[in-house]
Amino acid sequence: MKKMVFLAILLALSIVGPVQADAVLVLNSEEASYSILSRSGRVELARLPVGREPHHLLVTPDGKEVIVGSTATNELLVLDVKTGERRRVVRDIIDPYHLGFSPDGKWFVTAAYRLDHVDIYRADDFKLAGRIFIDGLPSHMAFDADSKTVFVTLQQTGRLVAFDLQTQAIKWNVKVGEAPAGVVMLPDNKRLLVALTGADGLVVVDPKDGSTTGSLQTGKGAHNFFPKGDGRHYFLSNRVEGTVSLIDTQDMKVVGSVRVPGGPDCMDITPDGKELWVTQRFLRRIAVVDIEQMKVVASIPVGKSPHGVLMLKSGAAGTKLAPVRAASTAADQK
Amino acid sequence: MRQLLDIWIGAQTWIFETLVSPVLFRFGLMEWFEPAFNAVEIVMLGIVQILVIALGMRFLERRWPLEKWPNDDLVGVDRVYTVLNKLGIVPLAVFMVTYPISNEIEHLVRSWGYAPPRLERIVPWIHDSALASFLVYFILYDFAAYWLHRAQHRFGWWWALHSLHHSQRQVTVWSDDRNHVVDDLLMTLALVVFAQFVGVQPDDYILILMIGRLVESWSHANVDMSFGRVGQRLLVGPRFHRLHHAMAGPDERHIHDHNFAPVFPIWDILFGTANYDGKHRPTGVDDPEVEADNGRGWITQQVTVLGRLVRALLPRRFRRATAL
Repeated sequence: MKKMVFLAILLALSIVGPVQADAVLVLNSEEASYSILSRSGRVELARLPVGREPHHLLVTPDGKEVIVGSTATNELLVLDVKTGERRRVVRDIIDPYHLGFSPDGKWFVTAAYRLDHVDIYRADDFKLAGRIFIDGLPSHMAFDADSKTVFVTLQQTGRLVAFDLQTQAIKWNVKVGEAPAGVVMLPDNKRLLVALTGADGLVVVDPKDGSTTGSLQTGKGAHNFFPKGDGRHYFLSNRVEGTVSLIDTQDMKVVGSVRVPGGPDCMDITPDGKELWVTQRFLRRIAVVDIEQMKVVASIPVGKSPHGVLMLKSGAAGTKLAPVRAASTAADQK
Repeated sequence: MRQLLDIWIGAQTWIFETLVSPVLFRFGLMEWFEPAFNAVEIVMLGIVQILVIALGMRFLERRWPLEKWPNDDLVGVDRVYTVLNKLGIVPLAVFMVTYPISNEIEHLVRSWGYAPPRLERIVPWIHDSALASFLVYFILYDFAAYWLHRAQHRFGWWWALHSLHHSQRQVTVWSDDRNHVVDDLLMTLALVVFAQFVGVQPDDYILILMIGRLVESWSHANVDMSFGRVGQRLLVGPRFHRLHHAMAGPDERHIHDHNFAPVFPIWDILFGTANYDGKHRPTGVDDPEVEADNGRGWITQQVTVLGRLVRALLPRRFRRATAL
């Protein structure tokens, strides 16, 4: 049976093969599947199975593989970054909700949101270096540039915690605001931005001691960040407000906003930097935002509760397949 | 199909973003953001279920009734149970009690370094077919529910609760939800623990609830119908389940210890508890204390049956002294 399944997957992948270079991966968190979409065609091409409740995904430090965390089945699915083909499954990674590699590629960290622990693994063999139990729903993470510290938000207790990667000891643990979720280290390595999902914006935190040095109002339910790619501007999804804000981190102000209905969450940018793709958790769609106009230009149906999204950035394009589901146009948006 | 789905999701999103999300945000309950969205869908599905029962199943009951009663005064309270359950009021209360308990159990198990093996490890192919996955989980949940149902009849203290469900003399499509809240709580907790070891996709779980509960509502219908010679062995129908509600008589003291399966009769066939004799019997429980449930309202039933549970838990010598 295993062989048959493997062959079936290979067949499915061979069918969608011509579009892999142009592909976008979306995790359907309540459907145990991931969608492969064509970036240029703005269509879902295939929907493939994955372990239950997949939430986040990321590219490995060597850029060769994509890792998908399945929280309910305690495993990582490893995909080929160019083809989306399954490589292997890493077992016994408990409740891998949010995932991250340290910038030096030595550490792999998971936040077990449901089970209240942060796990630090050696990235080369996924061997557990330390498990730190900590109450409060460990949510998202960011690393400092020299790979010494990982910062994890605790959504329930409103805190941000800094862990020493080498010793797995807690450096500091401070209250930052209501329901902190997304966290990002700015390129200067001196400021952390923390999105407050229980409030209407972000706070700026000093990574040295966790002190809050600033704040910015963006929208209710500020949740997750994505860099625009110029080292200065960041997108921030506001889940309750149903908007995505564009933030200038130099002047620390909002320079743009776009309405994205349906609980906007994770984001990624097309390689040409022209489009922002945003998962619409409630609507079971992914919105395509024209960045220059800050306007939703399409919304593509995917699976239930789409969460993580990733562009496979190999540059080629084109599709020979009929779409599984066609994208709606901007006119279909509320 | 996608258009219908879009309308459904659009309505769910509108209800959530207009009525629920602002409340969660206002009271600092954002960790419940995703579960609350799913809860809206469960309530919407509950409304659909009530409509199916009230318009579809009731039509068949009125057209071809098995038992004819001068009035249906005893049925009114069952409608209250159905509305409280289908609109999520009782399930929400049960969830609020069981969630911290099940969470503690899971945390404790994980703190021992033990991760229960998931079904996908044993049966990898269920990963790859949505329909197969749904059916496997449905069958497994029904299997668990079958044995839990047998436990409800086996243990005296649990029967003290579950007898409320059986006390109804006018069993109709409204009777399925007639359960004590503590009974609901125990069943939920047991199924949550079961889910720890088996697991189920949230999407599948909602569908299992929806289809399963509709089948169970229909199986209580006051009609003499079944799904045919073969069908009645594949799916529980009114004729099959009504025997389980039969009142015990002098010659059939254990007649209700048959036909326990909620949805798939295969469990009764496999474990020797199936009875397909097709005879018509009155429903209810041959016990004056349980019979007294009839005619009582929801609150009185909940209070008196709780007393019944307490007495059943007391050592035998204290029971007479505390009897009402």
